[in-house]
Amino acid sequence: MIGRHFRFAGLLGVAVAAFALVPRLGGDYAIGVALNLLMWIALTQSWVVLSAMTGYVSLGHAVFFGAGAYVMVLCFGSLPFWLSVIVAGAATGALALAVGYPCLRVRGPYFVILTFGLAELVKFVVINIEAGLGQFGRLLFGGPGLAQIFYVVLVLAALSVAVTWFVRRSRFGRGLRAIRENEEAAETLGIDVARFKVLAFALSAIVPGMVGAAMVLRTTYFEPLDLFNPITSFTIVSIAIIGGGDDVPGPIYGAFFLVLMQELLWANWPEVYMILLGGLLVAFVLGVPDGIHGRVAAWRRSRR
Amino acid sequence: MMKKFLTAIAAALAGSIAANAAEPVKIGFSESKTGLFAQAATSQYQAYNLWREQVNAAGGLDVAGTKRKVEFVSYDDQSNPGKAVQIYEKLITDDKVDLLLAPWGTSLHLAIVGVLERYKFPMVGNTAASVQLRKLKAANIWFPTSLFPDRQSDVLAALLKDRGVGSAALVTNQLPYTQENKSFVVPALKKAGIELVVNEDYPPNVKDLTALLTKVKNAKPDAVLAYTYPADAVLYMNGAREVGLDQKVQVVLLGPQYDFFGKIFGAARNGILTMGHWTPARKDWPSAKTFADAFKARWKTDPDFVDAPLAYVSVEILQQAVAKAGLDKDKLRETIAGTTFATINGPARFEGVMNVALPTMISQIQGGTQHIVWPPEERTAEAIAKPAWK
Repeated sequence: MIGRHFRFAGLLGVAVAAFALVPRLGGDYAIGVALNLLMWIALTQSWVVLSAMTGYVSLGHAVFFGAGAYVMVLCFGSLPFWLSVIVAGAATGALALAVGYPCLRVRGPYFVILTFGLAELVKFVVINIEAGLGQFGRLLFGGPGLAQIFYVVLVLAALSVAVTWFVRRSRFGRGLRAIRENEEAAETLGIDVARFKVLAFALSAIVPGMVGAAMVLRTTYFEPLDLFNPITSFTIVSIAIIGGGDDVPGPIYGAFFLVLMQELLWANWPEVYMILLGGLLVAFVLGVPDGIHGRVAAWRRSRR
Repeated sequence: MMKKFLTAIAAALAGSIAANAAEPVKIGFSESKTGLFAQAATSQYQAYNLWREQVNAAGGLDVAGTKRKVEFVSYDDQSNPGKAVQIYEKLITDDKVDLLLAPWGTSLHLAIVGVLERYKFPMVGNTAASVQLRKLKAANIWFPTSLFPDRQSDVLAALLKDRGVGSAALVTNQLPYTQENKSFVVPALKKAGIELVVNEDYPPNVKDLTALLTKVKNAKPDAVLAYTYPADAVLYMNGAREVGLDQKVQVVLLGPQYDFFGKIFGAARNGILTMGHWTPARKDWPSAKTFADAFKARWKTDPDFVDAPLAYVSVEILQQAVAKAGLDKDKLRETIAGTTFATINGPARFEGVMNVALPTMISQIQGGTQHIVWPPEERTAEAIAKPAWK
C-alpha cells in the first residue's frame, strides 16, 4: 500500500518535471497549449472529487473559476500574485461551504440544475456589483508573465492530482463512494453523509478558484460574462465523461484527448470540431460509459 | 574553395530574396465565428475579405514598392478572450505572419494588447470603444474610432438640448459598454439642464421590456434613451410600438446601425437617433460611397454603419503604412504613429493610441440610411422628429 503511494509520488514528480521543461524548451505557443492542458486537468480533477466520487454531478463549476478570478481582480495591485491566488482558493472554498449545505440536500437532476442556476446567479450578482462600482470590464496590466502563470498552474494541477489520489484511497473517499452507491445505506453504516458531502464540495472548489485567479491574468482582462461562462462547466463534465472513472487517470486522459483534439481541429474546422465533440460525447456515453480510463484498465487486465 | 562556397551562398540568398518577392504577404487575425459575438462580427470579416479581394485584383499589396498578393490566416476564437490570446501568439510565433488584423470587440482587443506588446508587433485595431482604451500605454495598437462614452454623452446632451428636450427617461442594459455610457450621460444630462425622470437597468438576457417601457410612458419624458445591445434593441422597438411611446426623440444606442435591424423594422427605424461617426452620404469622404457600393455588390447586403467601416478603415491605414514602410515592424510602428492617413471615414491621425482627427458624432436613421446629425459642423442632414409608429 505504501509502495503504491511512493510509486504515485514518483510518477507525479516525473510528470511535473517534464512539464516544467516546457517553458525552457518550447515557444509561447507550446506553453499556451500546455497551460491549457494543465488548467483542464486541475479543474476536472477537482470536479471528480465531488461529482465522480459522490455521484452529485455539478454543472456549475465555472462559478468557482469565475469567483476566483474576481478575487484576483479585487486583490490586484494590493497583494502579491501568489498570495492573491491563495486568497482566491480560500474564498471559493468558503463559498462552497456556505452554499454546499442547502445545495447538497437535493439529488439527481435537481442538484445538476441547482448548481447550474447557482453559477448563473453568482455571475449576475458580480455583473451588478461591477455596474454598481462603475466598472466596465477591468484591465489587469503589469501582472506576472506567461511562464510564471504556467508554473503556478502546474503546481495547482499537481495539487489537484494529489488530492484526488489521496481522497480516493482514504476512509473519506470510501465514504464518498458509499454515498454514490446508496446514500441511505451509507448513513446506516455511520457515515456522516451531510458533512462528507459538504467537505467534498468545498475540496472540489478550492483549486478551481485558484486556477481562475491565475488564468484571469493570462488574458489581462476581466469581464464577468467571460469568466463565468457556462461553457467552462460543460467542458469539465465532457472531459470527465471522455476520460472516465473516479480516479486520477480519467481527467488526465480526457484533458489530453480533448485539448489535443481541439488544437488539431479547431484551427481549420471549428464547426466540425463542435459537431465532432457532440458526436464523441454521445458515443462515449452510449458505447464507452467507463471512458478512456475504463478501456485502458480493461485492456491491461486482459494482458495479464 | 572558400570563394566557391561564398558564391553559392550569395546565389542561394539572391534566390531566396527573389522567391520572397513573389511570395504572398501572410496576414493573420482571429475571427469570432462562433459564440457570443458571432453575429455581430460578420461584417468585420466581410470588410476584411472585400479589401483582400480588391487588393489582389489590383495586382497585390504594395510593400514598399513591390506588389505582393495578400493571403489570410485566420482562426475561430469562439468569442473567447483567452482563445484570442492563444491565437495571436500562434499567428506570431508559429504561423509567422507578416501582418495582423484586429479581432472583434473591446474585450478581445484588450485581451491581446499584452501579446502585441511582448512581441512588439504593431496592429491597427477597429471595433473597440471604451474610455479604458485611453488609459492604455501601449506602443503597438491604435484605435481609429471616436465612439467614446464620455465625449459621446456630451455630444448627445448638446443635441437633445438643441431639440428642446427638457426631460428624459433612460433604460440601460447591464453589459459593460452600455453601463459605461450611462455613467457619463447621467451627469451630462444634468449639466445640460435635462431632468432624468426614469433611470432603470435591465439584465443582458432580458426577454421582454414592455413593463419597463410602460413605466417610461407614464413618466411622460420628452426623450427616451434606450442604451441597448443589438438583441435587446429589437425588444425595445417592439415594446415601444406596443406601449405607444410617441416621443419625438428616441435614442437607441446599439442596433440601428446593423443591416439586420433595417430588415426587421424597415421604415419604422427612421428617426431613431443612434451612435456612429460614418455615413456614405458625406460629400468630403468620396470613398465612403465607393466602399458602401462595393460592399453591397460583394455581399448582397448593406454594410452596417459602425463595424464594417471601422474594419475597412483599419486595413486602409495598414495598407498605406505598408506601402511606405514595408514589413519591418519598427518602421511600420513609426509610420502608423506618425502619419495622417486618408480613409473612408476622413483623415486619421494618431496621438498615443487614439485617432485625434475624427470628432465624436451622433447619427440618425433617415430614409433607410444613416446620417450624421450632430455636431452641426459635421452633419450630413438635420435631425428630424421621430415619426409616429405605424
